Amino acid sequence: MTSALEAIGLRKRFGTLQAANDVTLSVDAGEIRGLIGPNGAGKTTLVNLLTGVYAPDSGEVKLGGRTISGLAMHEIARRGLVRSFQVTRLFGNQTVRENLMTAFYARRPANVDGEAAAERMIRLTTLGPLADTQAKKLSGGQRALLQMGCGFMVPGSCYVLDEPFAGINPVIKETILEMIVAVNREQGAAFLVVSHEMAIIRQLCPQVTVMMEGRVAAQGTLDEVARLPAVIAGYLGKALE
Amino acid sequence: MSASFRRSAAAIALAAVLLALVPLVTGSFVVHVLTIALYYVILAASWNLLAGYTGQFSLAHHAFAAIGAYTSGLMGYHLGVSPWIGIPCGVVLSAICGLILGRLVLKMRAIYLAIATWAFAETFHIYLTADYKFTRGELGLSVKSLYGTTNPVPYYYTFIVLAVLVLLGLRLLIDSPIGYFMRAIKDDELRAKSLGIDTTRVKIAVFAISSAIAGLAGGFYGHYVVLLSPQMIDFSEMAKIVVMVVIGGFGTFLGPIVGAAPVQVVMTYLQSYGEWNLAVFALIVIVLMRFSMEGLASLFTPLWKRVWHLK
Repeated sequence: MTSALEAIGLRKRFGTLQAANDVTLSVDAGEIRGLIGPNGAGKTTLVNLLTGVYAPDSGEVKLGGRTISGLAMHEIARRGLVRSFQVTRLFGNQTVRENLMTAFYARRPANVDGEAAAERMIRLTTLGPLADTQAKKLSGGQRALLQMGCGFMVPGSCYVLDEPFAGINPVIKETILEMIVAVNREQGAAFLVVSHEMAIIRQLCPQVTVMMEGRVAAQGTLDEVARLPAVIAGYLGKALE
Repeated sequence: MSASFRRSAAAIALAAVLLALVPLVTGSFVVHVLTIALYYVILAASWNLLAGYTGQFSLAHHAFAAIGAYTSGLMGYHLGVSPWIGIPCGVVLSAICGLILGRLVLKMRAIYLAIATWAFAETFHIYLTADYKFTRGELGLSVKSLYGTTNPVPYYYTFIVLAVLVLLGLRLLIDSPIGYFMRAIKDDELRAKSLGIDTTRVKIAVFAISSAIAGLAGGFYGHYVVLLSPQMIDFSEMAKIVVMVVIGGFGTFLGPIVGAAPVQVVMTYLQSYGEWNLAVFALIVIVLMRFSMEGLASLFTPLWKRVWHLK
């Protein structure tokens, strides 16, 4: 099985904090892998290392078998590694439609009608009535939906989603979940999903990676890792129901 | 051509036709004031592209106009080169300087970028004054007039054509993918990068384009006023451009167009009050800002939407 995304021995230090300590992790092609762990475990740091926001102190990142370490953020994105941010980032002064079009133009694929793609995405995200509303006027859930829609405007080979379900209502959660599953099935795209929502992780991710204190603490199915004493003590607090 | 471009083009064409009729009914002083106002429309619109759309609050825009003006002026003065060759050279040099300055301030944000660009402008200002043997400094560089006459009417029409071309070009650029990228960078540069936008290239390109436009306006301005002085890079010139755009509507297409002309006209007529000019002007700015933070352009928005039956 080839890896869609691979981190090999990534290290990153901020002052005295070893935020990523020899992190090795692989997301197979077509896989949806969960990434869980306590706050401050280094999950977002890992996402930032994978997507080129930070350069690792050492280690390597490979996308589809080819190294992407050292590439600029936009070059990594153009190679098909798409991310979402934990605190939703949108272009506040652009409308919903313009946000989608910006995402489209940014990685403009050949022979695709951007406006039709935006129209389809507006339907899919159920943001139709707000299509010409500025993103800064949207609610938290709508922002999360739009950010996800922007990510899916141009097909990528691998998506890294940093807490896509945090602080949003069940209906929108369901919509985002469906979008992820659809893109995974239809395009065979791989996903690495950071989340604290164990119910969703169990439903979505056959395999999870647990990070604690900057290291990969465990890997396996959610039920396997949830039985480990270290994971219960350091993250879950009690065994999963 | 997008619908947005056609709408803007129709409005610009209408405005140009109305302006073209002015010399038939007024004297040459009014035509002169409007010619200068059109010069500022071009400067304000091109600075708005950089600051209002892309978020790079440069304070060197007046310097690029001066680079355009002095390049052509000096080539004419020292080498006898025709303005029709000198002006394009000025545009190219402005673009190159814009490219370099844009590269230098790439990582700087807000106030740091403003200070660095202002320092660039001041450096150039000092050079023009200091190297007086070459630039004629405060004595002033006399420049050939473009049409061999001081009658403002032909220059007035030239500036109408220039303003129309520049505004149409800017409209095309703003509606293009690059325009989306510019606004994206202003809102959130990290997100723009994460989507795959080469923000470095876009920012430098916009810097070069807006500088080239300033150089173009400056070049023609020089061959109209026929006497250049380092006064062109006085900070009050830059402040004027900022005030024009802010009053008109920062980051809106219409803003610099409706802001520049009234400000220039009012400033011209306030000149007879000497030092009071600025004080009166500051008062007008405060009153306008108090009642319309979004600028004069927002007053036109409802009308614009009704005319074109927009939502």
